[in-house]
Amino acid sequence: MNNATKDKKSIVTPRESKLNQFLSQINRSFAISKKNVKIYYNKGPVAIQGIAFPIILFFAFTIGRQIEPPHVVSGLVSLIIFLTSTSIAPIVFPWETRDKTLEKLITCPISIKTIVLGDIWGSFFFGVLFSIFPLIIGIVLLSLWNALNIGIMIVAIIVAAFAFSCFSSILSVPPSDTPSYTMILTIIVKFPLIFLSGIFGSIESAPYSVLSPVTYFTDIINFGFTGSSAFGPLGILLDFAVLLTFGFGFLGLSLYFHGKVLQRRFTA
Amino acid sequence: MAIIEVENLSKSFGEVKAVNEISFAVSEGEIFGFLGPNGAGKSTTIRMLTGVLKPTSGIVKMFGKNFWENTIPIKQLISSVSETANVYNDLNGMYNLLLMAQLYGISKKVREERAVVLLKKFELYDKRNLKAKAYSKGMKQRLLICMALMSEPKILFLDEPTSGLDVQTSILVRHLIKEYNQKGMTIFLTTHNMDVANELCDRIAIINNGKIVSLNAPEKLKKLFQENHKIEFSFNRDVSAEEIKNMSSTKEVEKTKEGWSLIVNDVNKSLVEIIEFAKLRKLEITRIATPEPSLEEIFLKIINGR
Repeated sequence: MNNATKDKKSIVTPRESKLNQFLSQINRSFAISKKNVKIYYNKGPVAIQGIAFPIILFFAFTIGRQIEPPHVVSGLVSLIIFLTSTSIAPIVFPWETRDKTLEKLITCPISIKTIVLGDIWGSFFFGVLFSIFPLIIGIVLLSLWNALNIGIMIVAIIVAAFAFSCFSSILSVPPSDTPSYTMILTIIVKFPLIFLSGIFGSIESAPYSVLSPVTYFTDIINFGFTGSSAFGPLGILLDFAVLLTFGFGFLGLSLYFHGKVLQRRFTA
Repeated sequence: MAIIEVENLSKSFGEVKAVNEISFAVSEGEIFGFLGPNGAGKSTTIRMLTGVLKPTSGIVKMFGKNFWENTIPIKQLISSVSETANVYNDLNGMYNLLLMAQLYGISKKVREERAVVLLKKFELYDKRNLKAKAYSKGMKQRLLICMALMSEPKILFLDEPTSGLDVQTSILVRHLIKEYNQKGMTIFLTTHNMDVANELCDRIAIINNGKIVSLNAPEKLKKLFQENHKIEFSFNRDVSAEEIKNMSSTKEVEKTKEGWSLIVNDVNKSLVEIIEFAKLRKLEITRIATPEPSLEEIFLKIINGR
């Protein structure tokens, strides 16, 4: 059998290799994520939304108000994780459509799902990285040395970063090649979710806060520091369930809609 | 044996039919040229063959398989350099290559070795750590070709590979296209540069307004126009165009700087007529030549429907 015949046979995808194909695509999504880290972490829009906005909003929410120290930490960590983990994924598609690098990616042996996942990982790592530091500072300042609670908060950061990254990925579905347009859209969607949430205050006294996913993360961090949840004794289970449902729900929607609009990115 | 088979492929953008039921096949190891003016449908075709644009109708088969039903395994064996795609300007040359290799699942050791070999071959090694945004157009084009070659594809699609390049880079790219083809790589290239097509391609399809209007080897295309052969000549003194036009096999007469240029049906008959014409009028023939029609002339004639 010559090489050409062998190669032709190799493109037939046997059933047993499906798992390998899946793992290979996941692996390639990490390569995309690493590329995003290198390119987009220092872009202006990401720095503004991911770093400047949390600082500005933190001072806007806290200055002149009597807030319990645990709520200051949980509010700050919530702001940071929400804004950082939603800052990269929305701009990658429009940026790469404009720079014509998306077309290069599409010709590679990867699916649109792999590209979307790569963008989500990038946001996820950004969110985790920037949220861990204020959490550690809070733990030290508030002298919280309960290993279980620290573990719960770290898991919450991972789950929330995933959920918010998946959510932010859907904001880049409109097939635009103008990052600033997507930035405006993300601000319009993200800011109400922050204002609705119960950060820097009592969740119980803000009935509409249940509409914002940020609330459920804030509740877990509050629980980590104070030992009580706004949703009762099993509240943090509800918090995790909501965040996971929110994350996987938006992941599914994002993968579906990105597949639907892909062609329009190249024909607009 | 056909490695690419295209049957009745069409692509519409709203009311506009950019590609209109084209069919062709490309043999393994061939350099297949796709020629046409701007807006003829060349890039749309290549984008349908590389997984960017979904065809409105028609079938694309590669390696005997339906491309659009097996995109990922087939893309693993092909690669492309497109006019409508770009390098990552914020990454350096080396990382652009390594990224492509990662997306093809190539191991770390192999991708690093290949990147060094390609960067040296395409004379980019010294600039490997520079961000691509600092590269010239020619360097970016070479980098794009290197990125496409990282996976050692069986089929390489090149969309206007020498467009906008300086002479030196263009020669290098043509030389390397030939070299990779000699190693067994099938190459599908679009161009509107006749010299590139003439020099590189085994067969050429000419596309205009979304339809293939001719498909042949460059020599065969030229032969198709033998009946429109050109004769260029000059006499030692002026004669009128009317007298020249009276020669029986002459189709077109053009006065040039050097003398006369005729398009004739029968080159031998016309040569005899020109000699007789000169004898009768006691003219001296100072120059006479029968140049082969250039591919450019053929191309323009096909496009203009002449």
